[in-house]
Amino acid sequence: MMWLSGGFIFRRGDSFYHRLDPRAKLLNSVLMFTTTLLARSIFEMVLVILFMVGLSAAATVLKRVARTMAFTALFSGFIFVVNVLFTRDLETSVLYAIRFIAIVVSTSIFFITTSPDELEQVMKMFRLPRDVVFAFVTAVRFIPVMMLDTIQIMDAQKSRGLELEKGNLIRRVRNMIPILIPLVVNSVMRSGELAEAMEARAYGAVPRPTSLLVYRATRADVGVVCAAVALFAIAAYSFYFVVPVRFP
Amino acid sequence: MIEFRDVSFVHQNGVRALDGVSLRVDAGEFVALVGENGAGKTTLVKHVTGLLKPASGSVLVDGVDTRAASTAQLSRKVGVAFQNPDHQLFSETVEEEMSFALRNFGFPPEVVRERVSWGLELFGLGEYRRSSPLILSGGEKKRLTLACILAWDPQVVMLDEPTVGQDAIQKEKLAGTILMLKSAGKTVVVVSHDIEFLWPIQPRVVVMKGGRVVGDGPATAIMQDRDLLASARVAQPQLVEFYQELHRRPGTPFVHPLDAARWAEEAMLP
Repeated sequence: MMWLSGGFIFRRGDSFYHRLDPRAKLLNSVLMFTTTLLARSIFEMVLVILFMVGLSAAATVLKRVARTMAFTALFSGFIFVVNVLFTRDLETSVLYAIRFIAIVVSTSIFFITTSPDELEQVMKMFRLPRDVVFAFVTAVRFIPVMMLDTIQIMDAQKSRGLELEKGNLIRRVRNMIPILIPLVVNSVMRSGELAEAMEARAYGAVPRPTSLLVYRATRADVGVVCAAVALFAIAAYSFYFVVPVRFP
Repeated sequence: MIEFRDVSFVHQNGVRALDGVSLRVDAGEFVALVGENGAGKTTLVKHVTGLLKPASGSVLVDGVDTRAASTAQLSRKVGVAFQNPDHQLFSETVEEEMSFALRNFGFPPEVVRERVSWGLELFGLGEYRRSSPLILSGGEKKRLTLACILAWDPQVVMLDEPTVGQDAIQKEKLAGTILMLKSAGKTVVVVSHDIEFLWPIQPRVVVMKGGRVVGDGPATAIMQDRDLLASARVAQPQLVEFYQELHRRPGTPFVHPLDAARWAEEAMLP
């Protein structure tokens, strides 16, 4: 589980990509996401994926992005099989399967290089209500904590003789009760404690609190966004003006 | 009973939690694991129950290699009370919570009832029998987790920070329970930062630092080694400090820190 989470959850890094303005990272991910939807040939899709792999390498998160890709490949395999069965078109099926991986990776790069604090700032820039932003960012921030909780709860229950992998499907589902109840109870308790701690530190005292972080776009921000825009432009041009070359 | 043979373990985040640990705990021994946060104490405990498997080396529990046994099999011999009781409490009532492991291990119903009653009385939780374990105080939850472990009578009892959230009286009771387990021939391993709790019950002390065992010996010897303890960020017991301070002065009446302890106890009596 922790292996899987490594491909989705933010970890502090010191690459040029980590240091980018979060708005640039968001824009870059949105552009990559859209480009994957516009790409109509395997060649274009591979180009987008190569761009994302290059960015991941530059951001020193290639290993974790590779985990995301490996995990997504399972679902892609399913998408491929279903498409082959229903469309009988091998190339389109491959395209859809790769597209799914590309979509997940484009969002994954954003989340694993953007801290919850940066995410909060980006959401605030979109003028979203402060409570909604806070709730969302807190939820994101607590994902790794809950994963750790889950592992510790599983350890505690296994040490009391619980065998999660034993029995038929119904028994296995029932075996999850000793895991889920402490997890939910802990989460509720933690949210209550967090709310009290926030109020004790004057949360909500003023309608517009000041911010610690002030972002200014740098050359690196502009460069990365320009590269993504160029890729997007090629895909858009190809989508509207070029008939895709299909393999015989 | 428990043997670590050159055990190393690296967490998924790359942190080396155990680095060539070799340690032997014989049946009936009482051992305290002390050391700074992140020294590898809890990781060591998890290796005994098979929750973690060594990257290199081997861990033997009662002659069984933990890599060849499931956690459920090892748990029948090794009971572990983890640090945070909220990670295990889930049942509707305290007695159901206590019976959970007993049922998992297939004890007959009459034995389950008997063991549950015994455990609840031992830890002063009888009045909460039909209450939800979730409404108990932090200290009571901690005691309940201990009761849950002792209920199935494991050969080895491992307690991870058992004194957290306990008041002075409960700590005394806990110390009494540990000594009772020791006299009953159980192997007891306690992970604790609470040196003042450990000192009077005189365990064999294993000091850990950076995933290695850096000190191992009787409490009186280890607790007097100020440099060793300081390097592992462990405080000396106040009585040992008091003894060492007195010992620097000429004409001290004490030849052993335990003499100082006895003298201090007598001096405090009315």
